[in-house]
Amino acid sequence: MSDDKQIVSRLKGFLLRREVIITAVIVALLTFLLITRGVPMILTIFIDFAIFAIVTLSLNLEVGYTGISQFGRVLAVMAGAFGAGAIPGRVMAAIMGLPWGASYAEATVNFKLVPQLTAVLEKSWFLSIVFLIFCLLVAALCGAGIGWLTSRPAIRLKEAYLGISLLAFGDLLMWIGHNWEPLVGATTSVYIPDPFRFVPGNRFQVVVITVFVIAFLIYFFINKLTHSPFGRTLKMVRDNEISAAAAGKDVVKIRTRSLMIGSAIAAIGGALYVIYTGAATAIGFTRLTWTFWPWAFMMLGGIGSNLGVLLGVFLLTILRSMITIFRFQVFGFLIQWGIDPTWLEFTLMGAVIIVVVLFLPHGLVPEKVEPVLPADRVQKVITNMSSRGRFLT
Amino acid sequence: MAPWLANGLIYASALALTAGGITLLYITTRTFNFAHASMATVGFYVVYSFIIFIGGSPYRYFPFAFLFGALLGVICYYGLNRPLLKRQASEITLMMSTLGYDLILLSLIQMYCDFLTSNYKLFPRRVNMNMYDLELFGINAATIILPLMAIICLSALHLFLGKTKFGVAMKATIENPVLAGASGINSDRVYMVAWLIGGGMASLGGAAMAMAQTGTPVMGMNSIPFMFAGAILGGLHSLYGGILGGFMVGLAEYAGVFLLSQKFGPWILGYRMGIPLLLMAITLLIFPRGLAGIPWADLFGRLTGKKRGVQA
Amino acid sequence: MLTVRNLNSGYGKLQILYNLDLEVPAKGITVVVGPNGAGKTTLLSSIMGTANVFSGEVLFEDEPITGQQTHLLARKGISYVPQMGNVFAELSVMDNLHMAGYLMSKSEARLKAEQMTEMFPVLKKFIHRKAGTLSGGERRMLAVAMGLMKNPKLMLLDELSTDLAPIIAEKVLLEVIRLRDELGITILIVEQMAKRALEIGDTAYLLVSGGVKYAGKASELLHEPELCNLYLGIKQLPKQQDNTRIPSSEGRG
Repeated sequence: MSDDKQIVSRLKGFLLRREVIITAVIVALLTFLLITRGVPMILTIFIDFAIFAIVTLSLNLEVGYTGISQFGRVLAVMAGAFGAGAIPGRVMAAIMGLPWGASYAEATVNFKLVPQLTAVLEKSWFLSIVFLIFCLLVAALCGAGIGWLTSRPAIRLKEAYLGISLLAFGDLLMWIGHNWEPLVGATTSVYIPDPFRFVPGNRFQVVVITVFVIAFLIYFFINKLTHSPFGRTLKMVRDNEISAAAAGKDVVKIRTRSLMIGSAIAAIGGALYVIYTGAATAIGFTRLTWTFWPWAFMMLGGIGSNLGVLLGVFLLTILRSMITIFRFQVFGFLIQWGIDPTWLEFTLMGAVIIVVVLFLPHGLVPEKVEPVLPADRVQKVITNMSSRGRFLT
Repeated sequence: MAPWLANGLIYASALALTAGGITLLYITTRTFNFAHASMATVGFYVVYSFIIFIGGSPYRYFPFAFLFGALLGVICYYGLNRPLLKRQASEITLMMSTLGYDLILLSLIQMYCDFLTSNYKLFPRRVNMNMYDLELFGINAATIILPLMAIICLSALHLFLGKTKFGVAMKATIENPVLAGASGINSDRVYMVAWLIGGGMASLGGAAMAMAQTGTPVMGMNSIPFMFAGAILGGLHSLYGGILGGFMVGLAEYAGVFLLSQKFGPWILGYRMGIPLLLMAITLLIFPRGLAGIPWADLFGRLTGKKRGVQA
Repeated sequence: MLTVRNLNSGYGKLQILYNLDLEVPAKGITVVVGPNGAGKTTLLSSIMGTANVFSGEVLFEDEPITGQQTHLLARKGISYVPQMGNVFAELSVMDNLHMAGYLMSKSEARLKAEQMTEMFPVLKKFIHRKAGTLSGGERRMLAVAMGLMKNPKLMLLDELSTDLAPIIAEKVLLEVIRLRDELGITILIVEQMAKRALEIGDTAYLLVSGGVKYAGKASELLHEPELCNLYLGIKQLPKQQDNTRIPSSEGRG
C-alpha cells in the first residue's frame, strides 16, 4: 500500500520535472510535424538540431562552465569550416596529381575538380570514411588553434572587453575569407568532396544519421568532461578566479584548455555543416547565425546545463522551422502587406532572449548545484566543529 | 577635399556619436548596448522615410531621428533594462537582453523594408543618401554639416553634464550611485535620461553614417563592431574617451585604406575593417583599459614639469 | 526614531545579519561597535536600501522604510556618510557640496555650502579642486560636511574617524555632540575608535557575527571588561581618565 503510494509520488515527481515536460513537448511537436509534413521535414530539423547542438554545447562549455564571455563563437566554427573546405580536398588533389595550390579554390577550377575527387570517394567506402575523419581532425585542429589564439587576449582582458574583441575578430575572419580567394574561394564557394556518396540510396538520410550520432557522442563527451574533476575545476574558476588560484589552480592554463577544447568542438560543428551542404562560403558565417543563435539556444536551455542546452536547441529549432512551414497559414496577413514572414524568425529569437532574461533567468533546465561533498558529510563536519566550539553563536 | 577625407570625416563623426552613446550607457547602467546597431539603422530609415514621403534636405529630419532613437532607448530602459538593473543582473545578462531587443528591432526594420518595397515600389534595401544631399562651397554639404553637427551635439552634452544641476547629478551617479542616492538623486531618472540621450545619439549617428555609406537594413549591424571598437578604444570609462575613440576608429579606417591602397593596390579595400580592429587590438595590448588607461596626466605633468596631487 | 526589527540581510545570497533588533532613540547618539566583519556597515547599507533585506523591517518615525530606494530616504531626512566612497572624486569640492544639497533650492544650497566651508576652512581653500585630489582627512571632512548639508533629522555615520588625525577626529566627534545638543539631530555612529565613540554615545550596541551581543547605555558597555577586552580591544583601566589614544585591534568593519 505505502509502496504503491511511494511509486506513484515518485512517478509524479519524475513526470513533473522540467526536462521531462520539455522532452514531451518536443516529441509532440515532432510527431505533429511528422504527420502533417512527412519525413524530409523531420530530417531537416534533425540536422539543424545536431549541428547547432554541437556548437551550442561547445559554447556552454566555455560560457557556462568556465565563465568566458565568448562572443566570437563564429570564429571557431569558421575555422573548422574553412579548414575542412581548404585542406582535405587539397591533400587529396595533391595525392592524385591534380592542381592543389592557390588555384584549387578558384571557382572555375574548383567546380570541375571536386566532382573528380568525389568520384574517387564514391568508389571506396574506406576512403570516404578516412576522408570524413580527416576533415573532422583538420577542423578540430584548426579550432583548437583558434581557441589557443583567443585564449591569449582572454587572459588579459576583462569580461566585456573580451566579448567585444572576439565579436570583432569573428567579423574580421569572415571578411578575410570573403576576400582572400585561395582560402575558400572568396566571394564564390569552395566545394567539398562528398564522403557520403558511397552508400547507395538516400544520401541525406545517411548524413543526418552520421551528424546526429556525432552530436550525441560529443554530448556524452562534454557531459563526462564537465562531471570530471576538470569540470569542477572549470566551475571553480568561473565562480571565483582568485580563490581558484589560491587553491593552486593555474587559471590561465585551465581557461586556455577550456577554450581549446570548446573551439575544437565548435570547429567540428562547422566542418560537419560544410560537408553536409557540400560547399564552404565565407559570407555565410555571420555572427548572427553562429554566435547569437547559439547564445539564444543556450540561454533558453539553461547556461551551465548540458541537457538543458540540448533541449533548448531542439525546441527552438523546431519553432524556427515551424515559422517557415506555417508562414502562409498563420502569417497570411503579413504577406498581404508584402512582408516576408521569415523575418519573424528574428522576432522569435529576440523575444525568446528577452523572455528568458526577464522571466527565466536560469533557463528551462537550470544548472544543478552540486556540492563537492555530500550534504550529510557537510553536516557532520559542521557538528564536529561546533562541538569543538569553533563556531560562536 | 579628397573624397576619402570627406567620407572619412562623416563616418568618423557618426562613429563618435554612436561610440559616445555606447560609452554613456555603459558607464551609467553597466550595459553594453547591442541594440545600438538597429537603433542606428532606425535613425537612417526615419530620415529616409521623411525624404521619400515629404521631401527636402535630409538634415531637416535629423532631429526626428534623434527623437525616434530616444524613444527606442526609453522603451528599452523601462521594458528591459530597469527590471534587470533592479535584480542586479550580471553584465553579460544585461548585454544579452539588448541583443534580444536588437533582433526584434532588426526584424521590424526588415519588415518595414519589405513593406516599402512592395507597396511603394521603392528600393529601401540599398539607399545612397548622397543623392539627396545639397552642395555647399562646391562640396557635399554632409562633409561640413555632419562633423559640425557632431561637434555641436557633443558640446551640448558637455555643457549639460558640466553646468546643469541634473547633468552634474548624472556625473555624480555615474561615479558613485550609492552616495548619489543618499544625496537624494533619483538614479532611476538618471538612467532613463542616459538611455534617452544614448538612444538619440545612436539614431543620429546612424542617420549620419548613411551619408557616407550605402544605407541598408543591416548597416548598423555591420558597423556595430566599430562602434564598440571606438568605445573600447576610449576606455569605456570616460564619455569623452569614447567619443574620441569612435572618431579615431572612423578616421583611421578611411585614412588607412587610402594610404595602404596607394601603396599596395586596391585589393586592400576588402580588408578595410581590419584596420580599426587592429588599432583597437594594439591599443588594448599596450593599455588594457584603452585610451583612458593611458596616464595622460602623468605624461602631461612630466612635460610641463608640474606635479599633480600635491597636498597643501 | 529609527527601529530595526528582526532584520535578516546581506549581499546577494550571502547573509550577514541575523535577527537583528535595534532602536535609535530620537535626539541621541547611538553607537554601534563591534569587531571586524560583524556586519556594522551592512547594517547601515540595509537601512539605506543598498543591501538585500531578506526579512524583517526598518521603521523611520514609525513608518516602514524597508527596501525603499535610497533617494526617497534622503528625501525623508536621513543622511548617510559612508565609510568608503563618500565623496564624488570626479567633481569639485563645490559641486560635491551642491550635490549633497540636491534636494534644496539653489539659494538655500549656496547658503548652506557657505556655512560648511566656514565650519571646515580647509574646504574653502580647495573649493574648486576635484575631491579626488584631497588627502584622506580632507576628504573625510568634506564627507561630513556633505552629510550635514542636508539638514538631516537622522545622520548615519560610518567609521567617522578613519583617515583623520587624532586631533581632528576629536574635533569631529565634538562636532557630533554639538549637532545633537544644538540642532537636535539623531545620530547613529558606527565606529572604529570604539572608546571615544562610547564616551560620547548615549546608547550603545555591540555587534558580533551579525547579531547584537550587547544593548544598553554606552557608558555601561565600557564597564563590561570581558566584552571590551574580547571584542573591542579596550583594556580596562578602572577609574582612570586616560587621554592617550588607544590603538584598537580592529580594522574597518
